[in-house]
Amino acid sequence: MNRIEKFFESTRRHFEKGGKLEKLWPFYESIETVFFAPARVSLVAPNVRDNLDVKRYMMLVIVALMPHYAFGVYNVGYQSHLASGLSTDFWPVIWTGLKVVVPMVVVVYAFGFAWETLFASVRKHELSEGVLVTCALLPLTLPPTIPLWQAALGISFGIVIGKEIFGGTGRNFLNPALTGRAFLYFAYPAQNSGDAIWTVLSGGRAAPVDAFTGATPLSIAAVTGPSGNVQSALSDAGYSTAKLFFGLYPGSIGGTSALLAMVGATFLIILGIANFRIILGCILGLLGTGLLLNLVAAEGSSPYLALNPLDHLIIGGSMFAFAYMATDPVSAAHMQGARWVFGFGIGALTVLIRVFNPAFPEGVGLAVLFMNLFAPLLDHIEIKYKLRRRIPNV
Amino acid sequence: MKTIRVKKGYNLKIVGSPSAASQMTERPARVAMLPEHIPFVKPRLKVAKGDRVALGSPLFEDKRNPEIHFLSPGGGQVIDICFGPRRVIQEIVIELDDTEKVIEFEHYSQADIDKMSREQLVQALVSGGLWPLVKALPFRDYARPEVVPPALFVRLDSLEPFHPSPQVYLPGNEALFQFGIQVLKKLVETPVYVYRCLPDIDLPSAFEDLINLTYTGNYPAHDPGALLYRMKSSPAENRAWFIDGQDVLSIARLLKNGVYPTERVVSLGGSGAPQAKHCITRMGAPLSFIAAEQTDTENWRFIQGGILTGYNAAPQSYLGYFETALNLLPKGDHKGELLGLFSPGYRKPTFSRAFLSAINRDELEMNCNMHGGERACIACGYCAQVCPVDILPQFTYKAILAGEVEESLEHGLLDCVECALCSYVCPSKIELFETLKKAKAEFYKEQVNR
Repeated sequence: MNRIEKFFESTRRHFEKGGKLEKLWPFYESIETVFFAPARVSLVAPNVRDNLDVKRYMMLVIVALMPHYAFGVYNVGYQSHLASGLSTDFWPVIWTGLKVVVPMVVVVYAFGFAWETLFASVRKHELSEGVLVTCALLPLTLPPTIPLWQAALGISFGIVIGKEIFGGTGRNFLNPALTGRAFLYFAYPAQNSGDAIWTVLSGGRAAPVDAFTGATPLSIAAVTGPSGNVQSALSDAGYSTAKLFFGLYPGSIGGTSALLAMVGATFLIILGIANFRIILGCILGLLGTGLLLNLVAAEGSSPYLALNPLDHLIIGGSMFAFAYMATDPVSAAHMQGARWVFGFGIGALTVLIRVFNPAFPEGVGLAVLFMNLFAPLLDHIEIKYKLRRRIPNV
Repeated sequence: MKTIRVKKGYNLKIVGSPSAASQMTERPARVAMLPEHIPFVKPRLKVAKGDRVALGSPLFEDKRNPEIHFLSPGGGQVIDICFGPRRVIQEIVIELDDTEKVIEFEHYSQADIDKMSREQLVQALVSGGLWPLVKALPFRDYARPEVVPPALFVRLDSLEPFHPSPQVYLPGNEALFQFGIQVLKKLVETPVYVYRCLPDIDLPSAFEDLINLTYTGNYPAHDPGALLYRMKSSPAENRAWFIDGQDVLSIARLLKNGVYPTERVVSLGGSGAPQAKHCITRMGAPLSFIAAEQTDTENWRFIQGGILTGYNAAPQSYLGYFETALNLLPKGDHKGELLGLFSPGYRKPTFSRAFLSAINRDELEMNCNMHGGERACIACGYCAQVCPVDILPQFTYKAILAGEVEESLEHGLLDCVECALCSYVCPSKIELFETLKKAKAEFYKEQVNR
């Protein structure tokens, strides 16, 4: 028996029935089963069971998110050093990024786990791994300047209102991470909108250096005047297609890189964790609607209508949300056909919100939440259609 | 010849397939009957502890239809009747005499069968104790003699790991099998489908002439319910009957020889069998006789029936009335390896693609561990991907738990072929199969009592 196993063997009794920390059993169990799969055997047929469990399922999503964290840390530090006129050497940049990201992740996980443990212990079931993914997703969507207490509030709202009051993972109809994100956006607009929030200033600076513009591509596209041209406004601000694609610009932590989101989406599709129908549906909906707006764009209409649909795909967090938010299996549509429609709706709404609603520079989060509401209806329609084609057996 | 393609389903890649070698087991000192594992039957005992019985004398009858009785698989003395919780009769154990007394039934030639009426034939099977071998879809209770079914399926092989191969139990019994099929044709007067899987298995030509249906596809394509689902064109066909190939031989033996037949070819498989093979043994034989080489009963699970649908039997128990397979698997009642969650899993079998085993073509070792804790459904949809009869188990089980019987029926609950794949693939470890099977049985019991 090795040391880790011994540690669990000696610690377990405190958490078991009658132990001092009996109430924290779900928390303990969730940690132990990360190290050692439980010794549970099948009691009814089938005698053998698949090796895949929810822990592995969720763990793979977190693995896919790791590059976003690595990129996020670098990008937060890099933008901060640019804005503060500091050197952009690799290690100082990483250090600055870590100082912003690590505390936020720690706070989010601490609050997320606390809520999940509380509900699991009251409901007397094991801790569900969905919380791990929710806690990993939320910081990536937040602006780096957000106060830690808001991050804590956001995850609390996401977990409790977005999920637990409906019964926990598997019974929620909204994506919990996005629910928390949307709550912060509407509850604290001062810290969650505008151009200044996307860059952390370091070295005691109160304002960025003159050469630095903190405007995100989405806000540039949204504020381009009726006589302007979005495409040239973006390139004038230094947003080349390559830059938009790689994501090295001010934005949410780690959500700006379309490249990494595509890599992550491919990884999850290959492993069968994310459903390709949803992701492709999203992309088709976005490109299709973007193209349609291109066609109807006329003299005098908002120049945003004329934005290349491919640019819609790579700016902001759309690809990130398509890959990780829309594909949450619980809150998405459950039927294969409905998943196409669900994805298409998200893509289309993203473009419509971006272009026509000046209050929301980024529309993808709300688009996902909105389609989450429609998912049960889409499923219902497809199931009814499928059942009608069965030869009855009663 | 018609070939039915059964879509979806899944073949387990598991080690321990029985070889075609067959071995005669010794004559056991005791045999037993296990009423507990005959579905739906409500046994009323006809013998008491200490009674003397002959081979073929009734042990118990079914309270629901008292004319259906189950006969003793040996001659000797009833030395034990074991009861379980709620007085369920688990085992009726008979100690065999050196020379067993045998009840003689009437025996028939082919010409006699041709002359008999259907009612006489039914009566011969009922009094010979073998009528319950004929089962009816969709509930899989034994058939009701007075009904004429829309079709009868005769299943020769099974894709479930592991069952006896027709290549072992059929050769040498050509005439007997032919006779059995004639009897069945007389019995149902509707199509009799004798079927096997399409990639040719080597059978003597006498059988090839009898086979009139083949199938392709993954497990459970061999199941009559799965075939019927792909074949049927109207609800009238739902109540087809089915019987196993080996049971056709039993029926033929009973009618031809006038003696209650006890011979059974049993497959012994799984990684716990030192030699995976076939055994020629008798009905009700002790499991320890069949798995004689495996003396370690601590670390292996003895599974009567297939690895997916079979039940966990005590190693000191006996072969059931319907059972022809014994599979030994590691119990798996130990914790997983350190941080196994993060391993690539080249040797961890899975239906999904979440482990590297998805590209591993080897047969892999499997045990009876659950490989995870119970969670709420996360709507991954694997169960619907694997269901051979297009049920949406993730929705159907919710309808059942919510008490929506009508809705679950509309979802095709009665088409369920009880293959257990939905429970196998579920990452949340929800007992979908158990829920669906129970709901089906409840519905049946309610219908019968009406």
